[in-house]
Amino acid sequence: MSKKQEPGMAYDMSKLNKVFAILSIGLLITTFWVFLDDYIRPWKAVQLEALQIRQSKLKEKVEEAKKNIDQEKLSALESQLAQGQKDAEGRVDQISKVQAEMKAIERDIKQETIVNGRLNSMVSATTFKYEIANSHGDANAQSLLKTLRNFKKDFELSRDRMKMLESTMKEKTKLLDSLQAEKLQAEKSIEETTRTLDLLKLSLAKTNVTPVFAIRNAPFLDFLDPTLKIQQIVINNVTDDRYFVSVPKVDRCITCHTFIDQTGYEDQPNPHKTHPNLELMVATDSKHPMKQFGCTSCHGGEGHRVHDFNSAAHIPQNEEQKAEWIEKYNWHEPHKIPQPMFKLQHTEASCVKCHQGVEHLPGANKLNAGWEKMEEYGCYACHKIEGWEHKRMPGPSLQKISSKITKEFFKNWVWSPKGFNQHAKMPAFFAQSNNSKPEFMEKNIVEVNAMAEYIWDKAEGYKPFAKYQGGNAEKGKELIKEVGCMGCHGVEGWDAESKKVGAYAGPYLTGTGSKVKSPDWLVSWLIKPSHYQEDTIMPSLRLTDKEANDIAAYLLSMRNTKFDKLKFETLNEDLRDELLVEYFAAFDTLEVAEQKVAAMSDRERTLELGYRSVGKYGCYSCHSIEGFDGRQGIGPELTKEGSKPLTQFGFNQQHDIEHSRDGWIKAHLINPRRWDGGLDKPFKDLTRMPNFYMTEKEAESMTLAILGQVSDEVPLKGVKRLNAQEKLANEGMKVVNKYSCVGCHSIDGWGGNIVKMYDDANEGPPQLNREGFRVQSDWLYHFLGNVKPIRPWLKVRMPSFNLSTEEKNKIVTGFQAKASQPTFVANDAKVEWEPGERAAALKLFEALACTSCHATGFTKDQASAPNLYKAKPRLRPDWIEAWLHNPQEFMPGTVMPSFWEGGESLEEGILGGDANKQVKALVKYILEIGEEEIRSPMRR
Amino acid sequence: MKHFINIIADPIFSFPIFSLLFFAMIKWYRVVGTKKFAWIFLAISVPVTVWFLADPQFIKIILWPDNIPINILVILIVFLTWFPLYKAAENDKRLEQGLEPVEALPENREKVWAWPNLVYTELFAIIAGTIFLVVWAIIFKAPLEEPANPTWAPNPAKAPWYFLGLQEMLVYFDPWMAGVVLPGLIVVGLIAIPYLDTNPKGNGYYCFQDRKFAITGFLYGWLVLWIYLIIVGTFLRGPNWTFYGPFEYWDFHKVVAEYNVNLSEFLWLKWLNTSMPKNIFVREALGIALTFAYLIGLPFISLKTKFGKDLLEKVGTMRYYIVIFLVISMGSLPIKMVLRWLFSLKYIVALPEIELNL
Repeated sequence: MSKKQEPGMAYDMSKLNKVFAILSIGLLITTFWVFLDDYIRPWKAVQLEALQIRQSKLKEKVEEAKKNIDQEKLSALESQLAQGQKDAEGRVDQISKVQAEMKAIERDIKQETIVNGRLNSMVSATTFKYEIANSHGDANAQSLLKTLRNFKKDFELSRDRMKMLESTMKEKTKLLDSLQAEKLQAEKSIEETTRTLDLLKLSLAKTNVTPVFAIRNAPFLDFLDPTLKIQQIVINNVTDDRYFVSVPKVDRCITCHTFIDQTGYEDQPNPHKTHPNLELMVATDSKHPMKQFGCTSCHGGEGHRVHDFNSAAHIPQNEEQKAEWIEKYNWHEPHKIPQPMFKLQHTEASCVKCHQGVEHLPGANKLNAGWEKMEEYGCYACHKIEGWEHKRMPGPSLQKISSKITKEFFKNWVWSPKGFNQHAKMPAFFAQSNNSKPEFMEKNIVEVNAMAEYIWDKAEGYKPFAKYQGGNAEKGKELIKEVGCMGCHGVEGWDAESKKVGAYAGPYLTGTGSKVKSPDWLVSWLIKPSHYQEDTIMPSLRLTDKEANDIAAYLLSMRNTKFDKLKFETLNEDLRDELLVEYFAAFDTLEVAEQKVAAMSDRERTLELGYRSVGKYGCYSCHSIEGFDGRQGIGPELTKEGSKPLTQFGFNQQHDIEHSRDGWIKAHLINPRRWDGGLDKPFKDLTRMPNFYMTEKEAESMTLAILGQVSDEVPLKGVKRLNAQEKLANEGMKVVNKYSCVGCHSIDGWGGNIVKMYDDANEGPPQLNREGFRVQSDWLYHFLGNVKPIRPWLKVRMPSFNLSTEEKNKIVTGFQAKASQPTFVANDAKVEWEPGERAAALKLFEALACTSCHATGFTKDQASAPNLYKAKPRLRPDWIEAWLHNPQEFMPGTVMPSFWEGGESLEEGILGGDANKQVKALVKYILEIGEEEIRSPMRR
Repeated sequence: MKHFINIIADPIFSFPIFSLLFFAMIKWYRVVGTKKFAWIFLAISVPVTVWFLADPQFIKIILWPDNIPINILVILIVFLTWFPLYKAAENDKRLEQGLEPVEALPENREKVWAWPNLVYTELFAIIAGTIFLVVWAIIFKAPLEEPANPTWAPNPAKAPWYFLGLQEMLVYFDPWMAGVVLPGLIVVGLIAIPYLDTNPKGNGYYCFQDRKFAITGFLYGWLVLWIYLIIVGTFLRGPNWTFYGPFEYWDFHKVVAEYNVNLSEFLWLKWLNTSMPKNIFVREALGIALTFAYLIGLPFISLKTKFGKDLLEKVGTMRYYIVIFLVISMGSLPIKMVLRWLFSLKYIVALPEIELNL
């Protein structure tokens, strides 16, 4: 301002103009920047990449299609074509004449069409006029009728002409074709040979980056009709909770995961890879088509965000991938995302939100494994989980415990279950990382003593009904393996077999001699478990007294000498009183509490502390203990654990645990007491969740199942709702799972663990595939109540379970429903034979040598297949028929031969070699001998 | 060092320090208001800022998109506080020498055309502002968060940055006071200033000597009681509105011991060693009396001082009481803060029965 300007001016004008110019250019640049910033999106690059991949794939296909074309044939066809063209040229005069004629006819047809159309409309209009006039009795009715008839006549004439023209046209066309027949034929053949190639070439052309492509995707113009654009799926049946409103899920994942639903891109790197399980997911004909379920319904994450790699809340599956992503995509933890994507290995957790209350989910192997582990360890006993309410108590009843084991054993066992049996499922409450300080240990010892006193005080007496008379331990050991104990129990001495089977329904049998108080109890238990505990799932294997004694001898011979020597410290009365005062002082002053304790007798104090301790550690949730009926488990509910905000997980001082839901849950399962580390907690507030000493693998699979317990509300239309039949099947499977039927039988592919123990699967319990279709419902019902062996060659026994009528009915209807069988099949009607059919059946029966295996009742040989005389009441005729046609379909690996493989009969001379007729005849025969078992002429 | 800064950043220390610095600045405004001081200040503050920014926790808070405007604000405030002081110091020197202020020099009094001198430059400002906002929007994306969930409030739940001062007041006052009365008084007081200020001096030129009380009073309210509180609320309040030092990790589980006691409880239980009276007004008598003394007694007492007499003479009775009332209201905030820190005082008047806590 010191420089003098023009009068009335503070600044130099030209300077101002320069400033203006600079600012204007700045604004212009900024404007371009805005558009450019909006235009450059990472997903566009991905789509361009996808275009290239598609192009190279198509090129490969084109090359292959070219190879597939027989070049010799093609060149032959081409020379034919040349010849044909030459021939046609020779007839060029004729051809052009015909073509000219056709043109004239074409013109006539066009004209006639117009005439015809006009007349047609005149007829209609005049008809209307005439009818009205006539019905009103108008004077002009007659003249109208006349006009109408004229029109009709003209119309008919016109139609005739039209037909004429058309037929002439046809003739001419035929003539023309015949004049150049060779040429046309060759052209057609060439087109047929190269059709695939031509189509592929068309597709390939579409992948080229042409000027049109560039214009459609140019900045500023790409709002019109771009080819590179965000692709999305709107899913009405699965909603996103926006708290004030539920909105249909919008998944835009396919914007980058371009070929997720197309086969042929399995070899591509992500995001262009094909979905690895198209049979079950994504594909249109799968159970979960992409258009209906989207992507984030299962994978989690922010499906509508395509801003960049991070915005979708991708979560790496492990540290290596994390490092890779950080480098490649600048990956970081998602901010403020309530439900980020599941790690790849946890995706099956999502099944839970739609498939609830089922025992087993075919196809979800990891989830099933997790559920199985939860069942094994009995999480549901302490933690409420919706849909798990029907499960039995995981531990044995302690109502009559005093007659089974000694108090000393009880205390040592509770102190360290794994110290006695390294396979023990009972978790460890004591001597853990958070309570192994001497002062805590002393208090724990008092508690264990008091609990033992309480439980013994409440225990009823029990008198075994059988006497142990000694037995052969070696034989007993063999028997354990033979009769099927190992479907539920691992057994010491059969270590390799136990490992193969991995049974979990019952305890691992080791050190039994040190555990069981009286051998008589053991024998009684083996013979009839329900005598001791009415609701036990342990079945009777119909052991003879001798067998039971042999098994008992073996079990008793297993002793844990180290454990035998343990002496549990006695109860410290001062500490007991101190603990009791602490309990009472929760609601009273210290003084009143002390007075209360003082007023109690010594015994009362011990029992009171025992009662309180059982309640404190939640023993009653797994074991039936008197005085705790109807009490809730001590753990927090897990129904919605998977949606619990991360901030509500107490990581406390454990900074090396991954800061995620699954990180916490897994760490918690492996060592639940770790959270107390580094904290100053009083005795009564110590974490009580016991240590199961889970392996990392076990914890991982349970983590998956727990992660699936989310609070997402899926609309009814979206969830898998069981129909009436599926509900029945599921109810049946609940019972089947409760009694661990799946420990021995593979039921439609589920379970059958014990079979792994046998070299030949046919030596193990039979597979139950479509069992409801196989057996008669009433037969199954009676069989469950009164087991009679069916397969004489099997050493393993179907146990006699202590099932209630309701449970039996549930199993029967469950199997029935599972195989889509409405009810039983009435088959009391007498077999009716076609003429000659019975003779043929007999012949066939001989020819196929059925009795060489199904010997019972036919020969004196050892039978190696079920008794055919008993088939009728047991089996459904339709099943027998289907079974004869293809036994492998029902029981892969069965020794039953397939006589009619591929619908072809081996016995061509019988019933004209017709497989269907032969099978039908045999079925009839089997039904007949069942009907007349006694009088059968075949019986020798 | 970082640990030390974390500790002194706590309002208990930083508020008095900031207040002292403020008064020191006012006292030695002629030192502050020089270019030399500005350069030295810049030379010191740049490396210090760089050192601060090297801390991962600090830079995380600074670069949080919500906080960008406050960073800009802090820098602007520093400059905009220094600049008038610089101008005022210059003019005050001239006035002492009997010269006219710089703004009154003939070359500065010359009249110029509104177009292009004003309108054109306004256009520049508009364009430059637009460019700035657009570039800001591109570089720092809008800090959109997850959909609002009524059952899961964000923690910390923070007001928009310009309200963070009010939110910080909530630590010391009840909502009706911090959210209604005090902001109301701020607005009314700001509107009233032109009517209360009868001082003709300082019109059209920068100066300090002629408007000591007005400038000091306003700047204290603005810089210490408003800007400072915004800075605390933005950078130093983390989850659960707990204080976190600038280098301290925002540990969600941080717990601070805070158990506050009412004045009436001090009186009856501690000093008189009796039970609390049933009548709520008797119970709170001391607090009510003190409040009245503060609001009504203090204006009269202030008349006894020389400052009070001078002011009364200058502005008249009505204006005088309004000014004093506003000053007293403003003073209630630092007073309550100090009482809280020194005595863990919860309320001076605690009447939760009629929802009147002070």
